[in-house]
Amino acid sequence: MSKSEPVAIGVSNLSHTFGDFPALNNVSLDVRPGELLALLGPSGSGKTTLLRAIAGLARPDSGVISFQGADAEGLSLRDRRVGFVFQQYALFRHMTVADNIGFGLRVRPRRRRPTRAAIASRVAELLALVQLDGLGSRFPDQLSGGQRQRVALARALAIEPQVLLLDEPFGALDAKVRKELRQWLRGLHKETGLTTIFVTHDQEEAMELADRVVIMREGRVEQVGTPAEIYDAPATPFVCDFLGHAFRFSVAVQGGSARVLGADVATKLADGPALAYVRSHDVAVAPVEANGVAARLLALRGSGASLALEFALPGLSAPVEVLCPRVNVAGEDFVVGADYVLTARAAHIFPAP
Amino acid sequence: MNVAAASSRVFARAPSVLPGFGLTLGLTLTWTSLIVILPLAALFWRASGLGFGGFVDLASDARVVSALRLSFVAAIIGAAFNAAAGLLIAWVLVRYDFAGKRLVDAMIDLPFALPTAVSGLALAALYAPNGWLGAPLAQLGIKIAFTPAGVVVACMFIGLPFVVRQVQPVLADLDRSLEEAAATLGASRTQTIVRVIFPAILPALLTGFALAFARGVGEYGSIIFIAGNLPFTSEIAPLLIIIRLEEFNYQGATAIAVLMLLMSFAVLLAVNLLQSWSRRRTGGGRHA
Repeated sequence: MSKSEPVAIGVSNLSHTFGDFPALNNVSLDVRPGELLALLGPSGSGKTTLLRAIAGLARPDSGVISFQGADAEGLSLRDRRVGFVFQQYALFRHMTVADNIGFGLRVRPRRRRPTRAAIASRVAELLALVQLDGLGSRFPDQLSGGQRQRVALARALAIEPQVLLLDEPFGALDAKVRKELRQWLRGLHKETGLTTIFVTHDQEEAMELADRVVIMREGRVEQVGTPAEIYDAPATPFVCDFLGHAFRFSVAVQGGSARVLGADVATKLADGPALAYVRSHDVAVAPVEANGVAARLLALRGSGASLALEFALPGLSAPVEVLCPRVNVAGEDFVVGADYVLTARAAHIFPAP
Repeated sequence: MNVAAASSRVFARAPSVLPGFGLTLGLTLTWTSLIVILPLAALFWRASGLGFGGFVDLASDARVVSALRLSFVAAIIGAAFNAAAGLLIAWVLVRYDFAGKRLVDAMIDLPFALPTAVSGLALAALYAPNGWLGAPLAQLGIKIAFTPAGVVVACMFIGLPFVVRQVQPVLADLDRSLEEAAATLGASRTQTIVRVIFPAILPALLTGFALAFARGVGEYGSIIFIAGNLPFTSEIAPLLIIIRLEEFNYQGATAIAVLMLLMSFAVLLAVNLLQSWSRRRTGGGRHA
């Protein structure tokens, strides 16, 4: 990212250890104003620690976090004005929904505290925004998971934060509600234009929702980019594997090209051994007469819109899973135990370690 | 509606994977009748022999009134002190790590474990005018032993573990992200404690208070040594019952006992109402 881009939150050289475990290892990141940024990675990759450090809930060992260019080190949580939504919502159970949402306004120092009426009307506004009109007098225990999540969001928005941070916001919800909330959050972000960072381990969620995705692994940033950039040009084998299940071949690069699963794939790497990653749905399956690599079909599983085919490939110990859309294969009959020919439609080539 | 449906509503039960509803309910009712209800009924039956007039005469006797007042006021003050101190101790035990924490944690239970006469003797020796604490306090003009204050001190001693053991697990289970949420929303530490943490532990604190109070009202052994037992000043109601018994005045003893029972019941009922009120405020306690 070029230096001229405006930066809402700057993170530079952040490190944090829990005992011997390096949760963050020299992480630097620029968050642009108004963007919806996803921190994506497996558990233990440091994404939540980074989020908590930005919020001021964790105090990193070294490094600098700045808000609008100003160092946030001395800022109290109150002065950071960060809206934080916790994974388990952290709603106050002894307060009604309306009292939960109004909490951030009621605890303000007296001279900055809005009047009762102003708080009530702001709460009503937020209830409408999160589509919970009329539920203000309920208690959190009387709401569904998705509704609680939206109360937590409204509560965080009540303080008019300069940035919204969400820790695995949809982690505890079932698939359907998760999907609905995702779209809803996207719409809310468009409406409010609030700089938003959310943590997830679900790559689909990150790719669908975020303007830019930060992929983290073992306390480091592996790659930052738009979902398309990251998907089409993964910077490391890890990123390639993490976004869509991929399998790995040892290949030889010769004259700017490598032969991967019956296809010639161009690469900028110098001649020599290399590793090729092919994603499950980047493999074409054809009858035996075609060109490619012969493989035996071991098993066949239908999973929703796509069909998972498991092949045994010569030279690979583990079976290879190929995904194809169900419509493409509707007319064909796959026979378990029969031989087919596989061809890679695309592959990503990385230097051999 | 048929009879089966009606009877199944009387013995309402949720379908369960564990059998034995009839047997367990029967045992429960038999046991509570035998152990709790029968002795209390006998007490009332005996007291009823006095007749209403006789009961009122005994109940309004100045010495009885003063003994009852001392027992209840001292137990309530002691339980209140314990609620404050117990909350603090539970907080320290849950939130901080320090050398000897396990030892302190184990010591909390000592007032449970000690025979009450032993603690009574220890307290009396400590607070007597020539005791380790009694002597310096006497120089300041404060008398603890052989005064109503001594009764309060004894109640504080025996009631402490009840509050600590009630509050400790609730505090340990309290989700830390609640405090973090309050902090990110701009709450100060005091606001977080008063508005977020305290309401969450209030039911446990009230239970601890009620238990400490009940123990204090009924306490005998650890109080009588330090109290000095001067009629109209530092004589507690349980002791007066014993005195009446030793005078072979069984009806007098029963009357005091019935009064204690009714007053204790009233206080515990009040605490219970307070608890259910605070539970109602958390949304009917569906997940409580």
